[in-house]
Amino acid sequence: MPEWFATTPGRLYVVATLLPLVGCALLLLFAGLARNLCRPLRASGGRAGSLYWLLGGDKPLATGAYLATALMGLAAVLAVVGLVMFLGDAQRGLKPDELAARWSERTDWIRVGNTDPATPAEWDKSDSARLVRDESTAAPPVPRGGRALELGYRIDHLTALMVAMVTVIGTLIFVFSLGYMRDETKETVEDHEVDHQTPGTHHFARRGRYGRFFAYLSLFAFSMLNLLVADNLFQVFVSWELVGVCSFFLIGFYYERPSASRAAAKAFIVNRVGDAGFLVGILVAWTSLGTLNIDELARRLRSPDRDTHGSLELAGQLVRVNPGQPDEKGNPTYELPAKGETGTHLALYPALWEDPTHFHGLGHARTNDREFTAPARQTYFDFGAMPYWLFVVMGIGIFLGCVGKSAQVPLHTWLPDAMEGPTPVSALIHAATMVAAGVYLVGRCYPLFAPEVLLGVAYTGAVTLFVAATIALVQTDIKRVLAYSTCSQLGYMMLALGVGGWAAGLLHLLTHAFFKALLFLGSGSVIHGCHHEQDLRKMGGLLTKMRVTGFTMLVGVLAIAGAPFFSGWYSKDQILSSALGYGLVHREHMTLFVLPLLTAAMTGFYMFRLWFLAFAGAPRDHHVHDHAHESPAVMTVPLVILALFSVGVAWGWPLWDADASALGHLLEAGQPAAVRVAFGPERLTAHDHHLVAGVLALLAAALGAGLAAAMYWRPKLDPAAVRARAGGAYTFLLNKWYFDEAYDAALVRPTVGLAFASAAADKRPTDGPAPPGAAEPPPRRYDLGTLDGLITTVGQLVGAAGRELRLVQTGRLRGYVLVLALTVAGLLGMLVGLSG
Amino acid sequence: MSLAVALFAVVALATGASALGVVLSRNIVRAAVWLLFTLIGVALNYLLLGAEFVGAAQLIVYVGGTLVLVVFGVMLTAQGPLRSLAARPAEWAVGGVRAAALFGLLAALALGPHAPPAVTPPDGPLPGVGPLGLAFLGFPDASPAANVTGVPDGKVFPRTPVAYLLPFEVVSVHLLVVLIGAAYLARAKRRAKA
Amino acid sequence: MIELGLPPFLLLSAFLFACGVSCLAVKRNAIGVLMGVELILNAANLNFVAFARYNPAFRVEGQVFALLVVVLAAAEAAVALAIILNFYNNHATVDVDRADDLRG
Repeated sequence: MPEWFATTPGRLYVVATLLPLVGCALLLLFAGLARNLCRPLRASGGRAGSLYWLLGGDKPLATGAYLATALMGLAAVLAVVGLVMFLGDAQRGLKPDELAARWSERTDWIRVGNTDPATPAEWDKSDSARLVRDESTAAPPVPRGGRALELGYRIDHLTALMVAMVTVIGTLIFVFSLGYMRDETKETVEDHEVDHQTPGTHHFARRGRYGRFFAYLSLFAFSMLNLLVADNLFQVFVSWELVGVCSFFLIGFYYERPSASRAAAKAFIVNRVGDAGFLVGILVAWTSLGTLNIDELARRLRSPDRDTHGSLELAGQLVRVNPGQPDEKGNPTYELPAKGETGTHLALYPALWEDPTHFHGLGHARTNDREFTAPARQTYFDFGAMPYWLFVVMGIGIFLGCVGKSAQVPLHTWLPDAMEGPTPVSALIHAATMVAAGVYLVGRCYPLFAPEVLLGVAYTGAVTLFVAATIALVQTDIKRVLAYSTCSQLGYMMLALGVGGWAAGLLHLLTHAFFKALLFLGSGSVIHGCHHEQDLRKMGGLLTKMRVTGFTMLVGVLAIAGAPFFSGWYSKDQILSSALGYGLVHREHMTLFVLPLLTAAMTGFYMFRLWFLAFAGAPRDHHVHDHAHESPAVMTVPLVILALFSVGVAWGWPLWDADASALGHLLEAGQPAAVRVAFGPERLTAHDHHLVAGVLALLAAALGAGLAAAMYWRPKLDPAAVRARAGGAYTFLLNKWYFDEAYDAALVRPTVGLAFASAAADKRPTDGPAPPGAAEPPPRRYDLGTLDGLITTVGQLVGAAGRELRLVQTGRLRGYVLVLALTVAGLLGMLVGLSG
Repeated sequence: MSLAVALFAVVALATGASALGVVLSRNIVRAAVWLLFTLIGVALNYLLLGAEFVGAAQLIVYVGGTLVLVVFGVMLTAQGPLRSLAARPAEWAVGGVRAAALFGLLAALALGPHAPPAVTPPDGPLPGVGPLGLAFLGFPDASPAANVTGVPDGKVFPRTPVAYLLPFEVVSVHLLVVLIGAAYLARAKRRAKA
Repeated sequence: MIELGLPPFLLLSAFLFACGVSCLAVKRNAIGVLMGVELILNAANLNFVAFARYNPAFRVEGQVFALLVVVLAAAEAAVALAIILNFYNNHATVDVDRADDLRG
């Protein structure tokens, strides 16, 4: 076993991914099923009865939850071990092939087409020693013929860090949930919200659902980890949908509440919009590029890493070409456009080189390399070309999926509603990990994005971060403030990715995960302590009652606002300097720096507003305040741990240099070549103006925080007066920019109207009243006027045909033989006719 | 007229005559005996064609197994007056004409312009038990590679390696199912309307 | 054997086939019908073996299929007889003209 892991340590990640699934499926699903099956026998005793009691009896099962938490912790340990081993490997300076051999594997799911390993011919000619290598060590994954849906994993810097982050935060949230969901271990739980929302119910009670909660949470953890380690878009898509469905389950965890089930459905449906785009992107990749493996896609789209002289200078470029005259064999040819023009097609490279060291790089602007030929029937190992617009469509499609999952404008409306779920869910899924999946995917698929798409990414991020922050300014529900701040921070990440701050955006993803989990768990602790009161206006002065929660949350607030030396400072500083660099190089896109700068001030404002409203000042609602209490240690310990992470996770030396973040350097080591290629000057400018951006950001945040203090801590400004001055703008923000209303008017109502119209067209036509005893009147015969009639007509026709045809079944053998003989004769005649 | 032709003439005449006997005999037991001769005749034909193993299998399975089953069936069901269930003369006429027409059609096909081209068979006997067993077990064909003949001119259908392990398994399972089904159907039980 | 050729076998097979079909047509006894079926199967089998002999491409295939047919015929006979016995048990006859319970 140790050798097994030593040769391919990537398998650590497979095990870590599967552990939560084991927790979910084996412990919670099957144990629960067995218990339910034994339930009727509980009174009768015997083996089944004792099994029932062994599995927890009438009370919801808590053991499974502990085991699931333990498995999650084990996964976190494995992930951290894997991270350390991976960084060790990366430090040793292994070649990419060797790294791939140790840290990625793939296997076929379905493979179609010519799978003969002997083809293509180049295979044999290539340097087999390099490809096949020694049998005793693991071989690197080698592309094979045909087209395949594969199952595989690939670990790089980004994945290793993300997996470690998800498992560590996941473990802490599992532990927190053990305390937060304690109510669910009771045999009957009264849900007062249901009474509240559904008129006519009193003291609605149900069984506790402790085990179910942990089953969903484990399934989610599995899907998320699978998404992270996946090496191809198809696997990503599968996990993507699994993550979505887990989110649906968990948002609708209190599904008896109409608001919760509505929110769950909304999250699911809004995400489908994005996923449709994702699917389009995947299909374009599949049809045009012949593979879904992310590395191979990148290799196919970008010029190779090395040319004849081993030069790295021109690696990772998108080369645009124009179609030329077909050559004498009818193969299409392509040529580089003249200087200053852009081609209509994108050159595609072989996924694997026949001889990678003797390649005269196409697009390296040598005079004798201005043309190349693509075979008429392209395979995966050939040069080729695809229309550039299709490439852009692919990028937009993939990004649309990310927009949905990461709650970017215009698909952000589901995230605030998702706060209907239990708070640990909000922390794990809707703040730290799942919504980050979109950002992660943009980072992972970076080489697949055209510059146009990246600009779109940047603008989407900029708009989102601004819109969400303005809405967060006026929200009064503690979780909704955090939800909008999540949207806004995700917007920062998207913006950073779009302007070339790849490492900055993903660094923010990691740091944000920690402090947002901290903030959500802190708010969960507040909600728990205040007996499920979420309205900020009823809190206040809680610091005296909940010291641990209050101070850890203050750490989170400082981190998200970008106070120096907190983790958020490093990442936000890098993002802003990237944006500034981009804005300085492309003056017309200066908005991309102004918006996040404004938003930095707003972030400071709304986060401190939240903290002051909840913890500082005098209690506004004495009932809430009097009953408030600090949460048990099982909830506060994760808070403290997360607070430590929120402070120091991005530290580097020197501490005061935001660019020196150690985590940031790790990410930069894993940065795809495409970033450097696409954003060379921007990165340099960003580096030069780093200090300006940092100072501006700090000033903005301080301004926002100061304003919040003036309004809510030391009342120099009356919030009510400000509200009155703002007037319409305030209402506009309070109604969340009327996004929901606009969607309602533009999409939901027409859809519902269409449904009603269809139902009207589908009304069941009848000839008369229902006969006595029958539930409904008989349908009219052969009625083609309505949909229902049309479908009934099909059935009626088949029935009539059957009635006629049954007369053929005479039961007389001789008649059958006659028909048989005639048929034989007829078939022979046809044979003669065809061959003659 | 070689020995082979003479042998074939004798065997074919005997086979055909006994097949006619199956059709014409009124008594079911006699028909069974005629069938026995027909089957033996067909087996002899196999031997003439050089397929010794198939001929042997025909003798053992058909003559030794199937026919015995049929005779048992006759004995279990035929009692007194039921032994000969005669068809009406009109049915005889229709059946005879139809059979003659079918025979004519088939004969015309076999002899006419669409007949399979005459091919000189390769020397040596047909593959025996060994190659057949290997073919059944999934080994690719051991016989000399040859192209499929009897296809329109100018077209060549290349042979691909074939193996019959799967059909063999399918047939085995089929047989098993059939035996179980037969045992179930035929098992002694009280009459429904007793 | 060489001068014999394929057509004589095909003719014999066609004759057996015609006999089988007329057997199906004129017999009222279910077992007689079964015999007709056996004749038809034998006709087909004879064709298989003949082709195996006279077409070099089918040297194995023809025999393989012939063997499969023999085996399937045995199975078919067993099942048919079981059905006939059952029919006989229920109706006290083997007259196929009386087997019309499922008439449409």
